Amino acid sequence: MIVTRRTPLSRLLHALRWAAFILIAFILNLPILATIITSFKTAGDINTSPPVWLFAPTLGNYEEVLFTGNTDLVSYIINSILIAAGGTLLAMVLTFPAAYAMVRYEVGKTWLLPLITNVRALPLIIYAIPIYLMFQFVGLLDTIPGLALIACIINIPVALVLFVGFIQEIPEEMDSAAKIDGAGKWGILWHVILPLARPIIFAVLVLSFVYSWNEFLFGLILTTKNAVPVTVGATFFVTSYGVKWGATAAAMTLGIVPPMILGLFAYPYIGKSMLAGALKG
Amino acid sequence: MAHREAGVRETERANARVFLIGLCVFLALMLGFPTLANLWYSFSNVSIYDLAGTAFVGFANYVQAVGNPNMWAALGFSLKFAVICTVLEVGLGLAMVFILHPILTKRPWLTGILMLPMMVSPALMGVMYRLILNEFTGIVPAYLSMMGLPINLLGRNWIYETVIAIEVLQWTPFAFLIMLTARQSVAGELEEAAAVDGATGAKFGRLIALPVILPSIIIVAFIRFIDSFRVFDHIFVLTGGGPGNETTSISIYIYKLFFTQSKIGEAVAVSVMLLIASLALLYAALRLAVRRAPA
Repeated sequence: MIVTRRTPLSRLLHALRWAAFILIAFILNLPILATIITSFKTAGDINTSPPVWLFAPTLGNYEEVLFTGNTDLVSYIINSILIAAGGTLLAMVLTFPAAYAMVRYEVGKTWLLPLITNVRALPLIIYAIPIYLMFQFVGLLDTIPGLALIACIINIPVALVLFVGFIQEIPEEMDSAAKIDGAGKWGILWHVILPLARPIIFAVLVLSFVYSWNEFLFGLILTTKNAVPVTVGATFFVTSYGVKWGATAAAMTLGIVPPMILGLFAYPYIGKSMLAGALKG
Repeated sequence: MAHREAGVRETERANARVFLIGLCVFLALMLGFPTLANLWYSFSNVSIYDLAGTAFVGFANYVQAVGNPNMWAALGFSLKFAVICTVLEVGLGLAMVFILHPILTKRPWLTGILMLPMMVSPALMGVMYRLILNEFTGIVPAYLSMMGLPINLLGRNWIYETVIAIEVLQWTPFAFLIMLTARQSVAGELEEAAAVDGATGAKFGRLIALPVILPSIIIVAFIRFIDSFRVFDHIFVLTGGGPGNETTSISIYIYKLFFTQSKIGEAVAVSVMLLIASLALLYAALRLAVRRAPA
């Protein structure tokens, strides 16, 4: 180890780094922090100027948006959970075997993999109109399965890139050994690759869930009443006239906390999936 | 024998294509078909009364789309927005890497705190900024006016800067994360070896760390550019594209053409042109990447 911490100058520098960290963390997280704090304030405390940081917290806003306030927030949250779960599982079922075939048998690696990684880079609005009309035709408008299909499109590039990257690291001897024992391709996939891939499956699950949960554009376009996700539904709380800030803040908090908690486990993989996608794309 | 083995290998590969079927069918239905529908619609007289778009009208939709000055304004907004945001995010992210790297290396959970904003839905981020920037109840204007700056950041004069600032504040952590990962790859042994040779502090940063981070800077800039170019969520929630068309990005423009003005043909023509432009950009970037890559 190099010992340079001891001089006063380097100590000062170190202290400045900490100060910078606290300042940056505060600025970046200010809207989140302020919203969470506001969600525990009474209407009187919200309208106090200058803003109060110490106050008697209340759960009234949560009671209002969840139980007494005649809002649909609970169903928005349930919709989001179902959409994200459906889109995540479908994307995994579609991409996991495909990633295995691409790595071990090199099928589709030269055309399908680049094609899919490039999908991530396209402005999705391009597909909004035909998908809207198509969903209208087949009756998928304003349904949870319809939005789960959209979530699946969004998740496929991330899932595929992470799976391909991980399966490449699994030594091929593992397959050969299973083959000698008489296992077929599906057997190898199911009994050898799948158990080994547990960490990456967890990462894909979490990231896909976060991305599906946060989707807004198609939620806005394709739903009106029955399948509205929380990202769209929570914006209904803001009307330019007579907005209830406390209730809005409580709805926001419920909409942002699940992906934030999940994201804390999965953020190291975000860099990986993005870098791999950009490099192989 | 070798020939036979190659034959077996070939059959195996053919069998392995089964694993791709599900994915290919899904993509054909959800992306292939809509692409074809887009192309078809863009040359037809599609309207809400004739959704099949039965009559061929040549390039009429395209002529109408290109002739609309609002399209060029929206395109200009998106390009400018994307360039400004990308430059700011990469610059700030890089500065954060050099300032914060020494205290983050042994404390990954601190990095997690900085990552929180990018886990939040951009639409809800927009609503939250509406909450804290609100002229009457928001905490930011409250403190600004205490400092003698009574400005409304959501008003006409500041809205452009505000939508850029929100994008930058939400996605600088992403730029930071990827460049930090690259920076941490030269920490440890390499850093100690360089120190023995007299390269410490700023010298190490300039001569060793920066060249190692450079490829990730290019990748980050590319990803952030395309993501900012297609921006929709937080601007739609904050301004709906207004005032007037001042903050209308190309995504919001297509949305408005279709959903509020019912100009389906024109909206589809803009979509197709956007698709072609995006593919051209991706192709150019790919060519550049292949040429740069060693071997």
